[in-house]
Amino acid sequence: MGRTTNSAARVVGAATAAALALGVSACGGSGSGAKADGGFTYWSMWRADEPQAKVLKAAIADFTAATGAKVDITWAGRDIAKKIGPAIAANQAPDLWDQSDDKVYGATASAGQALDLSPLLDQRIPEENVPVSQVIPAKYFDMLPKDPSGANHYLIPYEVVTNAMFYNAADPVLASAMPTPPTDWAGLLKVCDALKSAGKACIASEGEDPWSNALYFDYLLNGAGVNVAKLAADTSGATWDDPAVLTAAQQIEQLVRGGHLIAGYDATKYPAQETNWANGKAAFYIDGNYVTAEVAQQVPAGWKSASILPPTAKTPDANLIGFAIPKRAKNAAAAQKFIAFFLQKKQLSGIATTALNLTPRKDIPAPAELADAQRALEAPAVRLTFDGVSGAWLPKVLNENYLDLWHGKTTAAQFVAKCKADQVAYWRAQG
Amino acid sequence: MRRRTTAAGLANRIGTTAVWLVVAADLLLVLWILLTSLRSGPDILRNGFGLPTSPQSGNYTTALDQGGFARAALNSVITGGCSSLVAVALAAPCAYALARRRSRTSSALTMTFAMGLGVPGQVLVVPLFVGLSRIGLTDSDLGLTLVYVGLAMPFTVFLLTGFFSGIPGVLEEAAVLDGAGPVRTFVQVVLPVARGGLITAFLLQFIAAWNETLFALVLTNSQDRLTLPVALASFVAAQQFNGLDYGTMFAGVCIILAPMIALFSWAGTRIIQGMTVGIGK
Amino acid sequence: MATTIESPPRTDTAQGRPTRAARAGAGPLERQRRRTFWPFTAPALIAYAVLFLAPVGFALWTSLYRWDGMGAMEWRGLRNYTLLFQDPNFRTSLVNTLELMVVGGAVTFVLSFALTLVLREMRARLFARSVLFFPSLVNGMVFGIAAGFLFSPTGPVNQALKLFGVTTPPKWLSTDNLLPMVLGTLVWTATGYYTSIIMAAVDQIPDYLYEAAELDGAGPFQRFRHITLPCAWDVIAVCAVLWTVSSVKIFELILLYGGSTNAFPPVSSWNTAVYVYAEAFPQGTVPRLGTATAAAVVSLAMVTLVTVVLRRLLRRDPVEY
Repeated sequence: MGRTTNSAARVVGAATAAALALGVSACGGSGSGAKADGGFTYWSMWRADEPQAKVLKAAIADFTAATGAKVDITWAGRDIAKKIGPAIAANQAPDLWDQSDDKVYGATASAGQALDLSPLLDQRIPEENVPVSQVIPAKYFDMLPKDPSGANHYLIPYEVVTNAMFYNAADPVLASAMPTPPTDWAGLLKVCDALKSAGKACIASEGEDPWSNALYFDYLLNGAGVNVAKLAADTSGATWDDPAVLTAAQQIEQLVRGGHLIAGYDATKYPAQETNWANGKAAFYIDGNYVTAEVAQQVPAGWKSASILPPTAKTPDANLIGFAIPKRAKNAAAAQKFIAFFLQKKQLSGIATTALNLTPRKDIPAPAELADAQRALEAPAVRLTFDGVSGAWLPKVLNENYLDLWHGKTTAAQFVAKCKADQVAYWRAQG
Repeated sequence: MRRRTTAAGLANRIGTTAVWLVVAADLLLVLWILLTSLRSGPDILRNGFGLPTSPQSGNYTTALDQGGFARAALNSVITGGCSSLVAVALAAPCAYALARRRSRTSSALTMTFAMGLGVPGQVLVVPLFVGLSRIGLTDSDLGLTLVYVGLAMPFTVFLLTGFFSGIPGVLEEAAVLDGAGPVRTFVQVVLPVARGGLITAFLLQFIAAWNETLFALVLTNSQDRLTLPVALASFVAAQQFNGLDYGTMFAGVCIILAPMIALFSWAGTRIIQGMTVGIGK
Repeated sequence: MATTIESPPRTDTAQGRPTRAARAGAGPLERQRRRTFWPFTAPALIAYAVLFLAPVGFALWTSLYRWDGMGAMEWRGLRNYTLLFQDPNFRTSLVNTLELMVVGGAVTFVLSFALTLVLREMRARLFARSVLFFPSLVNGMVFGIAAGFLFSPTGPVNQALKLFGVTTPPKWLSTDNLLPMVLGTLVWTATGYYTSIIMAAVDQIPDYLYEAAELDGAGPFQRFRHITLPCAWDVIAVCAVLWTVSSVKIFELILLYGGSTNAFPPVSSWNTAVYVYAEAFPQGTVPRLGTATAAAVVSLAMVTLVTVVLRRLLRRDPVEY
């Protein structure tokens, strides 16, 4: 009797073990750990097939050839922003990763988990004999929020993005409607009216995307001297009572009620309207300057990309895409060495020539489509989009309310009141 | 009486028409996805509903190679196949024992497994993520497989318990009288009879794992560990900054759909009937 | 914890032998079964305990703390739950979840019964059933992508409506309509699924019952009411419970229906699953694992409650035939 039980147990146990072993052996394991000899691990925000990845891949190959250091790359894609925090928690953080400044700040720096890279600023760039601080303008760091220790050098940018209204300078209808760029909001409305009578929509807008559409509001507030981050940080919501805020909302309302947004904008899904814009159905499209790369395959021959800031804007906004190093990184020095290596003109130029984007280095010319954008960024100061408001506020307070205004469902006054109420609730829920 | 029959007949005719309309819509949708996957990206954006002018398989090569869908398909097959196999291997003896033994412990255990059916995945996602990252099993096929095995337990045990209860015990009695041990009885007598149920359980679990998105999204991050749904999500997410090639994306969608279509046309009836038998008993 | 399906293990009833005899007899087979019970159940039980029950416990525990996943855990007690209910986004998510469950469930099951009625007497029913079942095998993200094309203002849906004289179709893809669109997609995929299962159960009902009913002059609705429903009741009850859980689990469908680029979909279309995901894996803020798990626990409690109520409502003696 005992024998049968045991044999039964043994056989079932063996079968289980075999099944599990089968699973284990077929499914394989994963590996990650500390590197020796100047090597390091790098988690990239790019997918291996993207142009930025190609530029980085080439640079890493050069780096390995020059120093003998092996780099273990993970092409993680954009979702890396959600994964990095937990990875740090589990002590599995890479030595180097990259994302846009808001994600680096929100996911790591704000919790004191990003390494202060200010020592890197004094490091010399290989072959160029100048320190890093000389090629990366200080204004890009100045705009960043500070981490708990007061540092704002937790990210070293290799790509800069600015948001602007993009248009086709070769479009004759637009050229006659806008002989010179408007200098105030009334001027923009006049351009829109002229376009309307010429039978062209003024603004193409992905109606469901609050972020890009709210850029107009952001620039209007900037022109009126309202700082969005301060507006959002007010737990009482009283800042919403500032008349300048209401005026900005009313100016948005003018665009909506004036019928200047492309027909059907509130009934489509990205990228339907971007496509319409690229095919000349509307004059302007506001977005980050990567938009020219996004539509590069679609625009008709003869398209000439140009951009203006929404009129009244005082300070151009900028977003940085760059490297960051977790505090718990095991090979931080090696990773820093690579950052300096990548900032060499001959390496970094690939971001402009291959990935068709802007770099922080002034001596790397922008791709032709982004000449205007680069010129805007030459301003003495730049600011973060939405003045760097913290991550959860946009979706939880602004976005829905702004879309209601943008879709013409609420008035400017209703919008302001709703935002104020939601902001109070938001801060209460933060506990 | 007569009037009612005509009314019913009319209702029936309307119903039949509606069914065929929905069937046609389903088929057209699949056809559209298939045709669109053969067109070029800019072409699709200009007009979403054209025929491929010069059908090209270029999208598929791009998707499989640069899009990483080939590697993702392999990962999906491995995690889906392994987890389903292990889940059925673990659940079958358990379900058999639960179905055959009538005691308080047995019903308590049955209840415990059934309770798991009521736990939505979002309850498990944070704990499993934290736990797996502690032991270094995030971003690995093995970790994902283990998670799928765990997720599969309640339903697989439940389904198979239903199956085993439906199998007459006469054969086992005969086997025992012949002096067969319990394991031999189970493996040589019961399992062959229950083969249909086991295959159904395997297929259902494989389908669930193949389409599972939440856990795969959370537990994997490097491009050569993604499963197909995450590969698609990551491909779509990359449209910011670099634009999205819709041709390649539709090819990716087809790569996810094709095995499901194949599986279903091969074993569709078995899956449906197996499920009904399992949950009905 | 969720109480769901009571499925008393039936052993000897299937053999048509009285239970009492089996218990009293305690033959060699019964002895063997007793001995092998634990060895047979243990592997599955261990896997289930480690990979399923333990995480549920951990979720309950975490929901009482404030925790970003990196630093130390800070005791918060039940305050995470009060905070949760003060958060308008969570309330929206919860209401949406309930709407998907109740409205979606009602429509799905009414349609499923109607289809069962129709399909029973249709030609090529197996083919139709297979096609109707198929959408439930498709990953939800595909529908999100396809909808952008199908429902665009100049898309085929509006073109088709134009044929019927509808000149001002609804703005399908507007953010207001996200949830109804998700609901519609859900009903469409789930109807095929549940119809198929219920139909397979109906197929097992012997024909003579229907023939007898027809001789008695029962119309199709009466046949459905007095034969189909009672005979397929077991399966229908389980389906109702399965629906409850699966409706709360919906995730990828919403994620890609409203998410345009990298962002989360608009809050107005969130359900609790998306809420948990957004709290635990936010982009650009520190994770709030405490509230995330608390939200998950609330959805678990909701499922439990609904299934208990459903079980009460649907309890009925099975009909033997």
